[in-house]
Amino acid sequence: MYTRNFRILILAVVSVFLMQSFAQNNWNVPADKKAKNSYIKFDAASARQGEAIYNKNCASCHGNPGKGNSLKSLKPIPPDLSSKGTQALTDGELSYILITGRMIMPSFKNVLSEEDRWKVISYIRSFNKNYVQLLSKFDPNKAKLVKVSMSYDPKTKQVKVDVKANEKSGVVSLKNTEIALFVSRYFGKLQIEKNQITNTDGQAVFNFPKDLPGDKTGTVELVVKLNDENYGEIESATKLKIAVPTEKPGLTDDRAIWNVLAKAPFWIIILYSAGVLAFIAVLLYLVMTLNKIRKSGAKK
Amino acid sequence: MSEKNEKPKKRTRREFLQDIGLVGVGTLIGGSAIFAGINYDKKKNAAERVRVLTAENELLEIDKSEASKVVKPNLENLTYLQKQGREGLPGKRFVMVIDLSKCRNARKCMAACNEAHHLRPEQHHINVLKMQDSKNTPAYYMPKPCQHCDNPPCTAVCPVDATFKRADGIVLIDNERCIGCRFCIAACPYSARVFNWAEPIHSLEDEGKTYNVELNVPQKKGTISKCLFSADRVREGKLPYCVSACPNGVYYFGDENEDAVTNGTTKETVRFRKLLEDNGGYTLMPELGTHPRVYYLPPKGKEYPFQDKDKEEAGERLES
Amino acid sequence: MAKNNTADKITSDLLRSIRLNWSFKIWFAFLGAALLVCLGAYGLQLKNGMVVTGLGDYVSWGMYISNFVFFVATSLIGMLISAVLGLSGQKWAAPLTRIAEIIALAFAAVAGLVIVMDMGRPERLLNVFIHGRIQSPILWDVTVITIYMVISALFLYIPLIPDLKICSEKLDVPPFVKNIYKILSLNWAGTSEQKKLIEQSTRVIAIFIIPVALAIHTVTSWLFANTSRVGWDSTIFGPYFVTGAFVSGTAAVIIAMYFFRKNYKLEDYITEKHFDMIGKLLVLVSLVYLYFNLNEYMVAGYKMKEFEAILIRDLFSGNHAVLFWSVQLFGLVLPIILLLFKKMRKPLPMLVIGIMVLIGAWFKRFIIVVPTMEHPYLPIQNVPMNWKIYTPTLIETLVTIAPMIMVLLIITVLAKLVPIVPISETLEQLETTEENKK
Repeated sequence: MYTRNFRILILAVVSVFLMQSFAQNNWNVPADKKAKNSYIKFDAASARQGEAIYNKNCASCHGNPGKGNSLKSLKPIPPDLSSKGTQALTDGELSYILITGRMIMPSFKNVLSEEDRWKVISYIRSFNKNYVQLLSKFDPNKAKLVKVSMSYDPKTKQVKVDVKANEKSGVVSLKNTEIALFVSRYFGKLQIEKNQITNTDGQAVFNFPKDLPGDKTGTVELVVKLNDENYGEIESATKLKIAVPTEKPGLTDDRAIWNVLAKAPFWIIILYSAGVLAFIAVLLYLVMTLNKIRKSGAKK
Repeated sequence: MSEKNEKPKKRTRREFLQDIGLVGVGTLIGGSAIFAGINYDKKKNAAERVRVLTAENELLEIDKSEASKVVKPNLENLTYLQKQGREGLPGKRFVMVIDLSKCRNARKCMAACNEAHHLRPEQHHINVLKMQDSKNTPAYYMPKPCQHCDNPPCTAVCPVDATFKRADGIVLIDNERCIGCRFCIAACPYSARVFNWAEPIHSLEDEGKTYNVELNVPQKKGTISKCLFSADRVREGKLPYCVSACPNGVYYFGDENEDAVTNGTTKETVRFRKLLEDNGGYTLMPELGTHPRVYYLPPKGKEYPFQDKDKEEAGERLES
Repeated sequence: MAKNNTADKITSDLLRSIRLNWSFKIWFAFLGAALLVCLGAYGLQLKNGMVVTGLGDYVSWGMYISNFVFFVATSLIGMLISAVLGLSGQKWAAPLTRIAEIIALAFAAVAGLVIVMDMGRPERLLNVFIHGRIQSPILWDVTVITIYMVISALFLYIPLIPDLKICSEKLDVPPFVKNIYKILSLNWAGTSEQKKLIEQSTRVIAIFIIPVALAIHTVTSWLFANTSRVGWDSTIFGPYFVTGAFVSGTAAVIIAMYFFRKNYKLEDYITEKHFDMIGKLLVLVSLVYLYFNLNEYMVAGYKMKEFEAILIRDLFSGNHAVLFWSVQLFGLVLPIILLLFKKMRKPLPMLVIGIMVLIGAWFKRFIIVVPTMEHPYLPIQNVPMNWKIYTPTLIETLVTIAPMIMVLLIITVLAKLVPIVPISETLEQLETTEENKK
């Protein structure tokens, strides 16, 4: 009895372990991404900030690290992130997984900034006593040197993005950098086309859709995002009058049964008022007649 | 308590007085409605621009909506909140898209909603239903919030304008005005409305709070409550509670006028009409002519299997 | 000389009921006590909220609304007996007009209270007048029921003026009561001018009350038919409700006739012929109602559209089948068959049939309101079990009974204040018959 239970237990542990490592080894992270390191130092403070982000975005499926309370109804079961399998991954691999997502794991590309992602990884690492951080020498302040300019060509309906950095040594074009163009919407950023790679002049061209609504004047806010090896995460916004001018009336402008009293349909106002007025007329007639009866009797 | 008990006795006389008043009021309502309706558009155009004197002694003519931004809002004032809640956000038409292929009945939406709106566990502004349309079609999970119809049957029947539709499409309820007749529950074909049958569970902690019509908190005994598209969050540019709570990427929320909806899980923003076009988007019971602002993407290629334990409940109403 | 004797006898016969005897006092005390108990139950509902009822987010309209529909329905009878029969020259119905008007007034007056009892926030009733939206059928209902009440009261009062004069002269009551009768009788002297005025205004009311009465029940039916709910979404709901109203109202009049006749010894005035005639009337209105029932269920049951089929199965063979078929059989079919026999159109059998029809009429409203609410388009899930099938509670039942007691109280009191059979009209008829003899 004892041994049988024990065997089942071992089998279960092994299979869970196998499943986890199977799931994790399949991420196929490119070598350069795998070698990426955090420029944020992993300490108690960053782990604490990371925990808050983790609880909001990750805990509903992965559970709390070390508690084994990840959501078992999912297939594959989301791994406990304090587990050996997870901790065996490099910081770069973890970051990559967060960016891309896969199968039932959603992408956190638009949800978490690079800084946030490192903080979450800092929190995950806090469950591994043997972990030693390899700190990136990257200086996040360098991003301030970068200047992004955008222009629109109405003939070709294209947005040209130009990315330069004002180094002490002179102006440098950011070439071969992956850049993304977005249009700001009320709740988030809508990406225009796919990511592009800048040419040797630090320029990239995006086809702008003809049917995208802007505000009353057709103005939209364009946002360029890029993550350069040397300059880090850069985001820059410009307003251009290039979209379709859009001014839709409010949904409550027309007269309708469901609208407020002042916006009731005429037919209902007429019917209702006619009914009430007819009643008042009859009532007045009756009161007058009763009065006549009284007066006529008083004469006698 | 004693005051309440006396009411039934007095009612007959009070009613009688009201009856007399009614006749007059009825005519007044009818007449003033015609008048107000005619003047509505005139007034609106005239009032849209106002003149303001700047600190630099310049006289400017600006949009009225701009001017109201300058005036500091008083968030503790019930009348202010009610007025703001009825106006809605100018230029917006909010829409929700629910991707049924992604729902696995995690119910994080329901939990987040109930917490935000101080609801009892059996009260659902949003309810994840186990659905099966006919015998051989597959079962699927369907989250069902208020559909925020453009031809709302609930709002049509409300006798006191307690529930109303805003210019931005959101249908709200003012529980400071609701008389609790529950006609709206009877009229709603989507069973989207709930009633506070008893004292709300958070009534002690909510005591003294100013009622926010865009959050419907504090909840009030004897009044209706319903999904609000999280009008309070939307005003701040944030996604609704349910949308951001979903771990599975089921919900998209956005502005039809901008042709963009944002996924609550991945925060990815996509073109609204393209999303519907590519995935065969539809609305619930279009034959009723309610014109919902909630769109569904069919449960094609479900990412999560339908649980066996839920199959019986899903097929409950099917003919065997 | 003989004529005067008969007239005196008639007057004293018909005035006999107006006095406070012991049986009245006991009956009144009984009603009062029962009403207090029921109002206590309503007090509990005010204190704890509507959670004391069996209602839930799905069946959110239950007994109270059924009761409301029943009350509005029954009040319609005033229009049928006094206006329609009166205008079409059916003289036999004249002694019944006052009974019908009292019933109409009592039920219409209390119907408003029934709807207040269903409100979650009755103290906000005034919002209906402050913020009223004329697009809402509730506002139409409030308006039109108020109008009907005022018109019914006048319909009761105006033909009563000559009788009030008789009351002030002949009744053995304290002087101040006599004075009230006198003031209310508006200097009635029976001049031809006065008679003409009364005749004119009665005719105006009789005509005007027809559309108003049709309106109250049609509007009430629109509370349901103006939604897209299965079982309510029907274009014949207006006439369906109106014809149903005639059935329940006629039954109520029959019951009232029986008791007034027996208690006030009015056998000479409310005769077996009256029972015979009103029995035939009940058959007529019941047949029309049966026809509308057939329409309503036949069309839905033939097509068996998806959601309607669920409701139809529930009614025909499911949870509500027993109630559904009992209502149709005992409340409609059986009374029609029984009343075809002359023997059955005697007072006592008519009383039994009347009670049967009236109970059936009440449950008919329940069958219209509740099953539809139990079967919405989308499935009922993730809620307590008792929200799926509606079971009224004791408190709810007591609150439902309260308005019934109020109606009995109003009828009792009115019947103690005025002669229940119009005296002057009876005298006039006597004169015409005398003249015919000559």
